[in-house]
Amino acid sequence: MSTAAKHLSFVFACWKMNLAGAMEFRMSFWLQVVTMMVNNAVWIFFWGVYFNRFPLVNGWQMQDVMMMWAVSAAGFGFSAVLFGNAYSLANIVATGQLDTYLAQPKPVLLHVLVSRMSVSAIGDILFGLILFVLFGDLSWLGIVKFAVALCLATMIFTYFTVLTQSLAFYIGNAEGLGHQFFITFLTFATYPTDIFRGIGRMVLFTVIPAGFISYLPLGLLREMQTPFLLATVVAVTVLAVCATWSFSRGLKRYGSGNMMTVRM
Amino acid sequence: MRARDEEHKRRQDGSNGPIMAGLEAASVNERTGRSASHTPWQDGERRGVSSLAVKLAKYTAVGGITVRNHVAYIYDFLLRSLFLLVILYVFLQLWTVTFEGEGTSRIAGYRFDQIIWYLIFAEAIIMASPRLSLKVEEEVKKGDIGYQLTRPMSYLLFHYSAYMGEAAVRLVVNLAVGGALGLFVFGVPDWGFGWVGYLVMAAGAFTVNFLITMMIALCSFWIEETWGIEFVYNKLLFTVGGMMLPLETFPETLQKVCAWLPFQTVVYFPSKMAVQFDALLIGKFFVIQWIWIALLSLLLALLYRKGVKKLNVNGG
Amino acid sequence: MSAIRVQGLTKSFTMKHKQPGLSGSIKGLFKPVVSEKVAVQPIDFTVEQGEVLAFLGPNGAGKSTTIKMLTGILHPSGGEADVLGYTPWRDRQRLAFHVGSVFGQKSQLWYHLPPVDTFELMGRIYEVPMNDFRKRRDDLVERFELGNYLHTPVRKLSLGERMRCEIAAALLHRPQIVFLDEPTIGLDVVVKAMIRDLIREMNREEGTTLFLTSHDAGDVEQLCKRVIVINHGQVILDDSVTNMKREYLTHKTIHLKLAVIPEQPLLLPGVEVVKQKGAGLKLSVNTVETSIETVLAYIVQNYRLEDVTIEDPSMEEVITHIYAKAGKEQGHESSG
Repeated sequence: MSTAAKHLSFVFACWKMNLAGAMEFRMSFWLQVVTMMVNNAVWIFFWGVYFNRFPLVNGWQMQDVMMMWAVSAAGFGFSAVLFGNAYSLANIVATGQLDTYLAQPKPVLLHVLVSRMSVSAIGDILFGLILFVLFGDLSWLGIVKFAVALCLATMIFTYFTVLTQSLAFYIGNAEGLGHQFFITFLTFATYPTDIFRGIGRMVLFTVIPAGFISYLPLGLLREMQTPFLLATVVAVTVLAVCATWSFSRGLKRYGSGNMMTVRM
Repeated sequence: MRARDEEHKRRQDGSNGPIMAGLEAASVNERTGRSASHTPWQDGERRGVSSLAVKLAKYTAVGGITVRNHVAYIYDFLLRSLFLLVILYVFLQLWTVTFEGEGTSRIAGYRFDQIIWYLIFAEAIIMASPRLSLKVEEEVKKGDIGYQLTRPMSYLLFHYSAYMGEAAVRLVVNLAVGGALGLFVFGVPDWGFGWVGYLVMAAGAFTVNFLITMMIALCSFWIEETWGIEFVYNKLLFTVGGMMLPLETFPETLQKVCAWLPFQTVVYFPSKMAVQFDALLIGKFFVIQWIWIALLSLLLALLYRKGVKKLNVNGG
Repeated sequence: MSAIRVQGLTKSFTMKHKQPGLSGSIKGLFKPVVSEKVAVQPIDFTVEQGEVLAFLGPNGAGKSTTIKMLTGILHPSGGEADVLGYTPWRDRQRLAFHVGSVFGQKSQLWYHLPPVDTFELMGRIYEVPMNDFRKRRDDLVERFELGNYLHTPVRKLSLGERMRCEIAAALLHRPQIVFLDEPTIGLDVVVKAMIRDLIREMNREEGTTLFLTSHDAGDVEQLCKRVIVINHGQVILDDSVTNMKREYLTHKTIHLKLAVIPEQPLLLPGVEVVKQKGAGLKLSVNTVETSIETVLAYIVQNYRLEDVTIEDPSMEEVITHIYAKAGKEQGHESSG
């Protein structure tokens, strides 16, 4: 077997085990999935009430907003289900839990990421898919476009999170900061890109690159905007490089839980 | 990998330990203040007479120590309230665009600045609400509740004091952060008695919030996990409680339904009174809020009594 | 051939000190107060292939840090290490194929799944061909007697059962070196004995090099031939277990039960009364200064004796003794 094939078979084995582990507690599994769907439904309520009163948000229709939620929720969902540890990386680094992965002969980042699955995020995936069925374009082209949008969103979510959580290698108490980065990103990814102007809009396509996700409903699903799509592919690549670089550079500084702060 | 999840949950709920510390300190107070023998008690009522002042001092002490304890975590609070800024920024943009699209100066009776201030006040309350379910659930599960019952203090009132103390600190921080943004964007607001209205309503709002959250938490006497219910309850506050949108923007039938639910008293009442103070309306709000408080207190007391009875029968 | 060769390996951590209060936190954000803490001072040692080595030291002595450097988990601050021909922190991944590790307090097993699932994943992680993997697994299952709970979720296993599974999981890929960090911690006597048997057998049959840290003197006594003791990040003893026992067996303990409570205290050169309770005495005899015969003769002459037992010191006492001696020497060095 080639190295890539070996890695792939290993990744699949991890995913299978994650799912098996989650299924050990069926009740809790469904509770988490359903709560997450309720959580997201709140925003659908919000936009429902909103569009009941106002026809448009700066050119965005109800359908666009729903597609934005579908892409963001399912994109995040896939990221947290397949690469669940991305979201607790800072904690793993700070508490020295990286040891186990470092002692084993697999690419550390990949191994860490796939070793955990967020159960509640399955609810996010289901939610996104339901929204797509209700509001999306169910033609073949529409489905392919939606799948591409999900892939892009998943990668952006994962790499951005790895990048911000890797801060834990460099500063103390990065868990809180990493979480703030994440919820900020998530927030920006779930509002129409076009309500932001000026600096805010610039931030969305640079520091907090959530704009590449929130604009997918217009730039890819409604009509293919080549410049936007090219920019998104570049953004994904840059994020991927930065994330893996800062992680592997951080490994050299890894202190295995010894970098504690002393209270005086 | 669920063990880690649980650990995570517990970590988020970092206030559990300090709360116990608060209890410790408060009961020391009690001991030094009164040397009467400690009769075992089971239903949260202390046998024997204790003056109202001493009792009041006891619960104030619990609240006070909670305040001090949370001031120590102010860095975390500030970090968390950063998110408040993000949300407010997003809504500022959203409503700017919406008012432009409508071309009117008022939407559902609110001016642009009023709707943003409304949001600031509403978010401040929601984000200031302490989480109870994990704390209480643990006390019930581990049987700590039995241990707490041996202390000369009402379990419910103890938690109420701690809850209000924590909520107060968090509310101040949130208002400072949100208020700074509001002042920066709109300058000094002109809502007169709005401040008083907000504070009066907020005290009742947190009380209602406590009563409902506590009832949910006490369900752990009967069911495995309660965080799911607490979660859904919070989402109800977001929506029909009027956090994301003032109730006036809802379709008419929905408004009528909301008027009969307790959720409006937690978010909508205080926020509305802050930005559109009305001496007549506040009276009406006040009465509705306190009717709910009376009703929910009664329910909570009943529930608690039932739970403790179950504890006594089954031995935890 | 040596399996591990370490030269001048050292590691220090930077620690941030948090000032009290809010202003302290804010100051710390911009200008943190940092101090350097040396976890491992430059150390040298060699471990031969097939050797069973005990690596001892009190908490915080630098044991785990050293192991982590030898497995490539931590990058050292200086020095060289060669493990099976690899530099651990540079060739971590390649080295990992030949190394197994059992950390008593960190589980490799998936908590909610039966061990058999983890075993299979381990097979994949270490890229063991399917046929070899099955043979090896069945062999280990038989030797470790895991058959009965191979399909039980790990969370339902007892600590001893879990530890046996941990060790089996670490051996699936036939590692040449196994690092065992506190493998018997928290186990009862019977399970401890069983685990020790297994470890011994593994060393004998497969020639596996074993690198063991433990607080348990029994582990050291029964498993290891050689011992390295470190304290404050320095090697203070590197010798065979037999030598160590001989060298530090300078004291014997005598338990006395006298017929009557003695009127005057027992005073004898080289003898120290460690404990006295009524007519029962515990004496520590320095066999360099005096001999057991002299002491016993003296006692028989002067007291009416009911019972007497003579004991060698336990491994634990020996180790404590080594620490104490090393501490004294260090003290002399710094004061002189």
